[in-house]
Amino acid sequence: MIVNQFLVLAALLFSIGIYGVLVRRNAVLVLLSVELMLTAVNINLVAFGAFLQDELLAGQVFALFVIAVAAAEVGIGLAIVVLIFRNRSSANIDELNLLKW
Amino acid sequence: MTGYFEDYITVAVFAAFGALLVAVSVGASALLRPKNPSATKSQTYECGIDPVGGGWSQTHVRYYIFALLFLIFDVEAVFIFPWAIQLEALGMFALVEMIVFIVILLAGLVYAVRKGVLEWES
Amino acid sequence: MFDYHAIAPELILGVTLIAVVFIDLILSDRYKYLVGVTALVGLTAAAFPLLTLAVCGDLSTCADTGSRVLFGGSYVIDDFALVLKGLFIVVGVITLLLSVGYIESDDYYQGEFYFLVLASITGAVVMASSRDLITMFIGLELVSGPAFLLAGWRKGDTRSNEAALKFFLIGVLSAAILLFGMSLVYGLTGEVTFTGIAAASAALDLANEPAFVLAVVFVLVGFAFKISAVPFHFWAPDTYQGAPTPVAAYLSVGSKTAGFVGLLTLCYQAFGPVREIWGPILWILAVLSMTVGNLVALRQTNIVRLLGYSSIAHAGFILVPFAMAATYDSVGLEDAFFGTVTYILIYAFMNLGAFAAVIAISARVGSGEIDAWGGLGRYSPNLAALVTMFFFALAGIPPLAGWFAKFVMFRAVIGAFSSPWAIVLAAIAAVNAVIALVYYARVVKTVYMDPIPEHADADSPTVVAPSLKLALAITAVAVIVVGFFPQILAFFGDASRALASGM
Repeated sequence: MIVNQFLVLAALLFSIGIYGVLVRRNAVLVLLSVELMLTAVNINLVAFGAFLQDELLAGQVFALFVIAVAAAEVGIGLAIVVLIFRNRSSANIDELNLLKW
Repeated sequence: MTGYFEDYITVAVFAAFGALLVAVSVGASALLRPKNPSATKSQTYECGIDPVGGGWSQTHVRYYIFALLFLIFDVEAVFIFPWAIQLEALGMFALVEMIVFIVILLAGLVYAVRKGVLEWES
Repeated sequence: MFDYHAIAPELILGVTLIAVVFIDLILSDRYKYLVGVTALVGLTAAAFPLLTLAVCGDLSTCADTGSRVLFGGSYVIDDFALVLKGLFIVVGVITLLLSVGYIESDDYYQGEFYFLVLASITGAVVMASSRDLITMFIGLELVSGPAFLLAGWRKGDTRSNEAALKFFLIGVLSAAILLFGMSLVYGLTGEVTFTGIAAASAALDLANEPAFVLAVVFVLVGFAFKISAVPFHFWAPDTYQGAPTPVAAYLSVGSKTAGFVGLLTLCYQAFGPVREIWGPILWILAVLSMTVGNLVALRQTNIVRLLGYSSIAHAGFILVPFAMAATYDSVGLEDAFFGTVTYILIYAFMNLGAFAAVIAISARVGSGEIDAWGGLGRYSPNLAALVTMFFFALAGIPPLAGWFAKFVMFRAVIGAFSSPWAIVLAAIAAVNAVIALVYYARVVKTVYMDPIPEHADADSPTVVAPSLKLALAITAVAVIVVGFFPQILAFFGDASRALASGM
């Protein structure tokens, strides 16, 4: 088995995610981009786990934990976004300019 | 190594065949059928009531809390699948562990219910 | 038989967490402070197994059995873990003491606040023992997840919302970067435990493998966000200012220390054989953090923002012993490790004390702007004396605790003076120590020398909540006693140094 194409896919997904985080203005879309990055991590982990034929399955176990934690993070993130939306009726992060320097 | 890519040849042939099938059937029907366009035919629904308003209807923000609860409980299931596969090998200890895990999750649900999160009118 | 004694602190914290949730459900609003009391009792109870583990690891013979290895090397209770767990529990207790009055005074949710603080502390306690990538990641997320919510605690305040969102977005971004690095580390070494990674990276000569260098850099960047090292610091002052002040105190000490614990165990254990990769990177981060943190702090007018930038600068100081790691022999490495741990221990007390004083004074004056504090020394001499003490301690003036932190930090650098880079680093650190004195002293000058502002309410008596008084007393005693008898904390630092030589 070769692992390269999985790594390239993961690297691409990760880069798309980073791009989304830097460019997107809506907080929900930034959150989605972060999820994309975490997906890239999962692909990496599972691909490496299969490639290394790790009998402890550490890669897959790690991926499961990443999935669970990512869900928890989405929960927290959406709660914060909804909170902001209620107070300002906008979820654009470049309108968050009360705190600087 | 080459065997890995040879597997994909099957996929490629299959995809090509699928594309050909669609192209032939759609192309044949386009050639054979009579052409008689009218305004009524290009409507979204040819019969019944005309659609009103945009297609992007908003969901009430209150649904998000149900979505959140669903998400948490849904995703925690990822821990149950590997557990279920290994349950017989691990025995009683694993069963107790999973009961503890689910009781903690249920504690969260009880908390949510008692706080009135699931009541629609608040 | 599984070693339940070894994980007793975590078990107690876990049970307390669930107890806190249910007690919060039962109690009516009037008795919500009992939830905080429960959390405090749970934290204190979790400290006892730490003591028994440290003094008599084996309860039947009461002998110190050394480090305990659980879960196949993923979870290790050694002296380093015990010291840091103890620190986290003390930080948790002080944070709760700071919060009780603050949370009660407004219309906030109370029970959940204590629950989240406790959850975050539990994560930090787990991190102190975690010796593999998975456990460390879980611990780190358990530290930061509740902290995101705590930062946004004042629901109606748009500043608090903004603080929470910035903290959250930066937090998940850094977690994703960290994880990508971790996944590459796993792929290249085939191991998740730190000792396994160290062995594999030495055996495979991964120091010269570009992909591994990339992986280490990703992991370091992830942690640099957590410890708010420049240039990954943007969120910190904003979040500290917008969040409730006790939460800011917790973030600047608890969550930052958790980041440093991760960095320490990863760098010295997992990445021990590849010191030439992370040494120079942390050199740059240390210099940037010290310089930028201190220079920007000079211009601050809000006291919490000032403390935010000062905590960035302190992160730089804490990173200094890491920076020359590539040149050390094993004794030098232990000294560097000792320097970092001791600095963290002292910094925790100084900074919590400074925040406690700021909370008390802000409540008294009704403002967090430094200008409004003019003449405080005349109408509230006790608070003025306390804030002076903590700020001078942060500046590193003897005989307060801060001098010893700076001393061990410089001693670690001097150990590497054969390299010109160490001399440059020591010079930059020395200049920064002087710059830091300027802005700390400026606050003290305002408090004692400036006239009382016109609209200030100088006549009413100074009231400080009893819990806040207790927090001030604990930190003040710690800062003074450690200043005179630094060997007390040096003992804890010494106990933990064995971790650095274990590679």
